[in-house]
Amino acid sequence: MSRSAKQWLDEIHALDLPDRVKIMNVCGGHERSITMAGLRTALPANIELIPGPGCPVCICPEEDIYEAIQLALKEDITLVAFGDMLRVPVNVPKNDIRSLQEAKAAGADIRPIASPLEAVLIARQQPERPVVFFAAGFETTTAPVAAMLVEGAPENLSVLLSGRLTWPAVAMLLDADTSGFDALIAPGHVATVMGLEEWRFIPDKHGLPCAVAGFTPESLLAAMYSTLRQLREGRVFLDNCYPELVRPKGNPTAQAHLRQAMQVTDANWRGIGSIPASGFSLRDACAAHDTRRIFPSCADDLRKRAGQMPPGCDCAKVVLGKIYPNECRLYASGCNPRHPIGPCMVSDEGACRIWWSGGVRDNTQGKAAQATASPS
Amino acid sequence: MCLGIPMQIQAIDGFIAHCEARGVTRDVSLFMMQDEPLAAGDHIVVHIGYAIQKISPQEARTAWELYDQMLAAGD
Repeated sequence: MSRSAKQWLDEIHALDLPDRVKIMNVCGGHERSITMAGLRTALPANIELIPGPGCPVCICPEEDIYEAIQLALKEDITLVAFGDMLRVPVNVPKNDIRSLQEAKAAGADIRPIASPLEAVLIARQQPERPVVFFAAGFETTTAPVAAMLVEGAPENLSVLLSGRLTWPAVAMLLDADTSGFDALIAPGHVATVMGLEEWRFIPDKHGLPCAVAGFTPESLLAAMYSTLRQLREGRVFLDNCYPELVRPKGNPTAQAHLRQAMQVTDANWRGIGSIPASGFSLRDACAAHDTRRIFPSCADDLRKRAGQMPPGCDCAKVVLGKIYPNECRLYASGCNPRHPIGPCMVSDEGACRIWWSGGVRDNTQGKAAQATASPS
Repeated sequence: MCLGIPMQIQAIDGFIAHCEARGVTRDVSLFMMQDEPLAAGDHIVVHIGYAIQKISPQEARTAWELYDQMLAAGD
């Protein structure tokens, strides 16, 4: 019989741990569960839970969003995108259109969707009109986009792809030896699609504990207990604390669709720069559905300035787990969900937005503020 | 965006499954589940309209309890 959250917490409190242990998660869903369940306050004070690169909207390159805005404004098309993307601001002079939402208000035909199936439906309903699907996301989201293309998308539907892989960002942090964490909780639904084994490099190459977790407090606490016990015993391995969904090799059909429609390329991450082999691009076989080949005029290479976050915004440091959300200079000080300045305050998976939802309103430094990161 | 929602399959027509969860019905693509035999009554985890994995009824129930809590606590 599986243990309750309280039993896992008792087990964790009983462990003889080092003075300070930092556990990173790389999934907005994990961070939301941790914050909403108040796990930070329930754990021993020497355990820090750090939200890392787990928000695909937050790291979607500024130039990609700008490209989508320009396409929607200048071309006679319908642009569809996941709802989160519509509010993400780009850096433009004052009074210029700075988000897809503002472009929509200015008359562009932009529609929020919740599924690639909706993009297909919209394209079929208006076969004479080009439909551009601005698709940002990690592997879990990019795989259905690939499946849509493999199954056969309507001729008038193209994809402006901004897909990213999760693990290369973690690898980059670890390779740079600036990771700042002692253990990793790996993302449950990314692993459901891509497989448990993708995360084996964490213990094998870097000697750090790693456990894949689901989204219940019990599953997250089981993963935390696993990594803490690994640290305590000095024997690190890759643990699967979400076995009900995560198989060693993941979902083979979904991976085959990704391979068939897309190739892995070096890719830009907003505020971070280029990360090797961390993005997806469409293969030549899908050229007829590649927005960048159909409308090359809206891609502005001059905008590819790595590190492009709004002035004063520390989202890049938040995404990399270098600071906590409320250590950003703008958190609750000009930036909030009603008036977001950085992407981490826009997306439901952004750490700033999640901490705000969890009741954190103060912009103070570090751990004292963490203690309030529980439901209000 | 990486959250998955558990749903129960009511009927299957080709690669489309008519699914239900808590009274809400949706058509879900089974195109990524071609290596997993599925039938009406089975539970699946759905992400942006596509099933990504099969799940047991108990696990589906547990996941829904979590989402209820998250929705109640959300902003």
